[in-house]
Amino acid sequence: MAKIIVVTSGKGGVGKTTSTAAIGAGLAMRGKKTVIIDFDVGLRNLDMIMGCERRVVFDFINVIQGDAKLKQALIKDRRLDNLSILPTSQTRDKDALTRDGVEKVLKELRDEYDYIICDSPAGIERGAHMAMYFADEAVVVTNPEVSSVRDSDRVLGLLSSKSRRAEKGEEPVKPHLLLTRYDPARVAKGEMMKVEDILEILSIPLLGIVPESPAVLKASNLGTPVTLDANSNAGKAYVDAVSRLMGEQIEVRVLPPERRGLFQRLLGRPA
Amino acid sequence: MPFQIRGRSFTAVVLQMTGAADAEFYQTLDAKLSQAPHFFTNAPFVIDLDRAVGLNRSGDFTGLVRELRARKLSVIGVQNGTIEQNAGALTAGLITLQGGRDLPPDGAKARSGDESSGEEAEDRPRERPIDRNDRVAAATEAAEPAEIAAGGTVLITEPVRSGQRIFADRGDLVVVASVGSGAELVAHGNVHIYGSMRGRALAGVNGDTSARIFCQSLEAELIAIAGLYKTSDDIGPAAWKQRVQAFLDQDALCVEPLK
Ligand SMILES: Nc1ncnc2c1ncn2[C@@H]1O[C@H](COP(=O)(O)OP(=O)(O)OP(=O)(O)O)[C@@H](O)[C@H]1O
Ligand SMILES: [Mg+2]
Repeated sequence: MAKIIVVTSGKGGVGKTTSTAAIGAGLAMRGKKTVIIDFDVGLRNLDMIMGCERRVVFDFINVIQGDAKLKQALIKDRRLDNLSILPTSQTRDKDALTRDGVEKVLKELRDEYDYIICDSPAGIERGAHMAMYFADEAVVVTNPEVSSVRDSDRVLGLLSSKSRRAEKGEEPVKPHLLLTRYDPARVAKGEMMKVEDILEILSIPLLGIVPESPAVLKASNLGTPVTLDANSNAGKAYVDAVSRLMGEQIEVRVLPPERRGLFQRLLGRPA
Repeated sequence: MPFQIRGRSFTAVVLQMTGAADAEFYQTLDAKLSQAPHFFTNAPFVIDLDRAVGLNRSGDFTGLVRELRARKLSVIGVQNGTIEQNAGALTAGLITLQGGRDLPPDGAKARSGDESSGEEAEDRPRERPIDRNDRVAAATEAAEPAEIAAGGTVLITEPVRSGQRIFADRGDLVVVASVGSGAELVAHGNVHIYGSMRGRALAGVNGDTSARIFCQSLEAELIAIAGLYKTSDDIGPAAWKQRVQAFLDQDALCVEPLK
């Protein structure tokens, strides 16, 4: 029976889709049967980051509305056997995400997979609510800045009151903090918040710290999850985060951000 | 679920009757109403029967309710009646209310975000507010687990997150966790926070000027007691992140370190 994990944040553009792809790929690399689902109806970013946008025929909304079978909409990743993507629709709106429809799809996936990762849209409206509603665990993606931390706090409140687990009075959704776009130099200058301060405010366990890294943009342009770029510090950070998500105890490393050094610039090689 | 059940308290206007609903009573009432014709529109009206000895039979209540409603007074219930009076009131479609606390005569003004006294009630005479006797600690996006002790104290052991609002509508509110910025604590009594306090805390919202706020680490956006408030700018750096208590001293909201 699959674990359902929502990747959420409240604030937009903090790295949810990047993290969904990276964690999904990381779990598949560790031999876990994983499906990643795009809940950002109307934008459809996940299939682009996964490099499968040209292979989309049917989508999540088609399945919810009974226009296609789940099997027809699922796209198998070409690099990782264990990974599938359920893309969303670019033309429908969020109202197409009904609770019953989402539940039906998740139920069908639950028996087949080990992990179901839901990429939430920004905000706290319907799409975000549907993405978190059925979750067992939540990866709360946060940037080291005040507004992002506050939105994460808001989302944690919603998880503890508006999720299925909360409504049914079951064990609460298990939250994990994933700090992304972390830049120690800017933290030292006081331009960004310190890890300790963020942890103190949110008081949830830390899943990982992903440094600011050009490898992320490069990977998304190539349509590859950054976890497959084993040389990048962002990729390494996601590998670590995946191990922790699987329950392993690993020390949290603060990897330096990658910038192009003088040598590399002279040699013209990307960092 | 197609609905949600919430506890919410409102301020009501209480009419203390001192005798039967006779011609003189209606005359005086009409005179009073003519001074402020729309003053009581939409205000829940409760009749206090403590001294209304002349009012007994059910016919009395049916007639009274008809007359009051004809004057656009929305009477909803009675209190402090005898068994016969309560039975009569029931026949007239009124409920029996218990408890309630009077608002101070010149009630503190401008309490922000307080549902317990609607905007409209704010400028009405604050004679005898009533407490709904079925009230519970109500929290929007409730921070679990809220426990209500016998005295009406609400205990919160989980962090109160941005956007959450906890309301202790009978007594004190005790939070043994941190309170995020954008979260709101509201209590009729005192507010205690044993964790970082970054949100808003409103104590004594029904006008209890003796209510206090106790904080382990004060980083609040706003604190208020009985409607008098200070924002983080007003609180000043001396008390910032300190263990403090806030209380009213002659209409001034004081913030002092806890020794
Ligand atoms: N660690 C990182 N280093 C550098 N850039 C990053 C990092 N993580 C994400 N980004 C960049 O930030 C931008 C937003 O990322 P992403 O689309 O994953 O965010 P999102 O939270 O899904 O956004 P939305 O709220 O719009 O869905 C992208 O351009 C991405 O390349
Ligand atoms: Mg996204």
